[in-house]
Amino acid sequence: MPIQITGTMLLQGIVSGLLAGGLYAMVALGMALIFGVMRVINIAHGTLLMLGAYTTFWLFSLYGINPFLSLLISFPLIFLVGILLQRFFVYRVVGAPELSSLLLTFGISTFISNMAMVAWTADYRSVEFLTGSFLLGQIALSKPRLVTFGFALAITWLAFLFLNLTKTGKAIRATSQQRDLAQVCGINVRRIDLITFGLAAGLAGAGGSLISVMFSVFPEMGQLYVFKSFLVIVLGGAGNYPGAFFGGLILGLAEGLASLFLSAQLSEVIAYILLVIILLVRPTGLFRGRV
Amino acid sequence: MLDNFILELRDVTKRFGGVTAVNRCSLRLAPGKIYGLIGPNGSGKTTLFNCITGLEVREEGEIRFRGERIDGLRPHQVTRRGIGRTFQVIRIFPELTALENLLVVTWSPFDGALRRARELLELVTLDRLQDEYAGNLSYGQQKLLEFARILMTDPDLILLDEPAAGVNRTLLNELLQAIRNLRSQGKTVFIVEHDMKVIMDLSEKIFVLNYGENIAEGPPEVIQADERVIEAYFGR
Amino acid sequence: MKWLAWVVAAGVLIGLAIMPFFVSNYIVTFAIQIFMWIALAESWNLISGFTGYVSFGHVAFFGTGAYTTAILVSQAGWHWFPASMMGSITAAALALIIGYPCLRLKGPYFAIAMLGLNEVLRALVSYFENFTGGGNGITLTPIQSIQPLYYAMGGVALAVVFLTYCIITSRFGLRLISIREDELAAEAMGINTAALKLYAFLLSAAFPGIVGGFFAWYSSHIEPIGTFPLLTTITMIIMCLFGGKGTVLGPVLGASLLSIFQEMVWARFLFIHQAIFGALIVAVVLLMPKGMLGVLQERYRLPRTI
Repeated sequence: MPIQITGTMLLQGIVSGLLAGGLYAMVALGMALIFGVMRVINIAHGTLLMLGAYTTFWLFSLYGINPFLSLLISFPLIFLVGILLQRFFVYRVVGAPELSSLLLTFGISTFISNMAMVAWTADYRSVEFLTGSFLLGQIALSKPRLVTFGFALAITWLAFLFLNLTKTGKAIRATSQQRDLAQVCGINVRRIDLITFGLAAGLAGAGGSLISVMFSVFPEMGQLYVFKSFLVIVLGGAGNYPGAFFGGLILGLAEGLASLFLSAQLSEVIAYILLVIILLVRPTGLFRGRV
Repeated sequence: MLDNFILELRDVTKRFGGVTAVNRCSLRLAPGKIYGLIGPNGSGKTTLFNCITGLEVREEGEIRFRGERIDGLRPHQVTRRGIGRTFQVIRIFPELTALENLLVVTWSPFDGALRRARELLELVTLDRLQDEYAGNLSYGQQKLLEFARILMTDPDLILLDEPAAGVNRTLLNELLQAIRNLRSQGKTVFIVEHDMKVIMDLSEKIFVLNYGENIAEGPPEVIQADERVIEAYFGR
Repeated sequence: MKWLAWVVAAGVLIGLAIMPFFVSNYIVTFAIQIFMWIALAESWNLISGFTGYVSFGHVAFFGTGAYTTAILVSQAGWHWFPASMMGSITAAALALIIGYPCLRLKGPYFAIAMLGLNEVLRALVSYFENFTGGGNGITLTPIQSIQPLYYAMGGVALAVVFLTYCIITSRFGLRLISIREDELAAEAMGINTAALKLYAFLLSAAFPGIVGGFFAWYSSHIEPIGTFPLLTTITMIIMCLFGGKGTVLGPVLGASLLSIFQEMVWARFLFIHQAIFGALIVAVVLLMPKGMLGVLQERYRLPRTI
């Protein structure tokens, strides 16, 4: 740990943090949607992320497809996986006590991870596509991070357009606010659940594809992001989707700064304490959310 | 002068975001009488009960029970001081038996509590159902059980939230008689009710709430003729 | 009828007490494992089965006990038994610190907070390397004979089961159940729900603490990854659920049957045993959420205290 932290290092920490935050935001948005609409805590979110990452990896290593182009395949593919999971398993625990959804999604996650390990081994894989950094004055902007941030931002923006402008998107938001009322208004909530889970899965899968460009790909890679997504949801407030976005950025920022001043491990502890404090003091999140 | 009142509310205010549910409400209850609380839907009656019993925390104002401030106390502390209440929607514990529902709320030694519980069940004619899971009882039986449950702790002030709701004639008469018995034992009863006949018959004094404000108080005959009350219910 | 049940129970206990002298070491070791899971599942039952608060990071108490014991044994020369008792005290202390703020949270949020607890402890253990050996863990002298451990672990399992029975037949137990049924009404009826939840939580943390200590001593080597896995929490939950949560013997049944199942599956399907477990979890949640005893209780109107 350096003794003196210069302005440049601070800026660097902030920038890297924000870049990571954009990715967290996109992945967490998916989880927030599932929790908001179905009251389900989706532990399998990390597994969906992993599937997206492997999709990109295999498309890249076998067919040389550009990882960013592969988003066009991984998003719909994992979207489909999400719909299947919802249709056959998750629908049973929608609105059920949290224990049921936690266990069910954990069981699904374990099953898929193990299968992934059997199919593809536990070896660490990587997608060597972009390396190096841009230099902006004294700040080094890692190329992979910058480009993936850009894509994450774009995809999240598209998701918000969908949620705010399309009929289905509005139905999703309505269901997440007042499920009973939405049903009475003629919204087919079963269909909304399917689409929401699919959308969330797609976002997770896309996240995985983008992450594969920067970090190693292996069956357990998604676990880390599950907990971070919880944090983001708590920061942003349940049911508050723009809140989830800013929550992701804030988390990335906090991590970036924390690893500057403390060791990386302690930053996790800080994050947890932050989580508990927020849950106690403002259970509706930093922004206006629902409990 | 304060000592003569068992319950006193002074300028109690409770807000939920932009909505002011209870607005500078003040009232005083003398011991040993039956009081009514009426008002149109949404006038803040249940919220007021919640503030008194600690389920909600009021933003402004004071609530005194027997001269001592109780606002800010946790619900179980308020109950232990001698206030009991029922709910609009029955809240008995479905997976405990009728007997257990009564035993659970008292801390007196087991034998004494058991005896008292059995006596109370007999009083409300539920004694042969004492080992039945409360969730299996009929609506009327659950209502009686809830009533017996507040009596377990022998409170001095009893808040009843719509005791007549969904109750048939026979049961209703039993309940009304039970309430009158409470008063003759020296207890104070405060009732929220929509059934006008019931409340006018029972109460010695009625408070009227509209938009969270105490707009009128007085004996039933006076309230029935009060213009503000009629306006509140029926509009101009 | 009741005395028959006690006679059978006494018989089973006597049988277990003399078993180590007649069977192979493998079976004794396996029995120790089952006792451990019984203690864990029954402990989780104390908080989550009775009050309904889902402790999704319960392995944190197990790990705390393990590390406390390992540190005391390796660095302060304690004997493993008192060191494990200290493990239960540190675990209970942790439960107090975490429980006091977190038990105020509503259902899903409490579960999330407990889930995070795990991760944090793992991070903390890695950070304080001087004490805890960081990522490399702590190594102890290997255990000589397992018979003392058999009786120790068996004793703890018996203690938790007996404690659960005492609680479920007392008014304390009734009050815990009323918290699960309708916490608001319980509070309004004069029950100090915050205090009772905390007591149940402390009790539910103490036993995993001891058991963790025994585990450390038995394994002779502990490290962060093996001591705080989410899988352990899930396993104890599924065992409790399978047998029937909220009952006394449900966790015993669940722990015993699933341990045997796991042992058979591990031997034959080494590579996919996790997937099989995952499928089992899904099956239990969807097909028998009330557990075996729960279904029996409903069908045949069995008493709550089984």
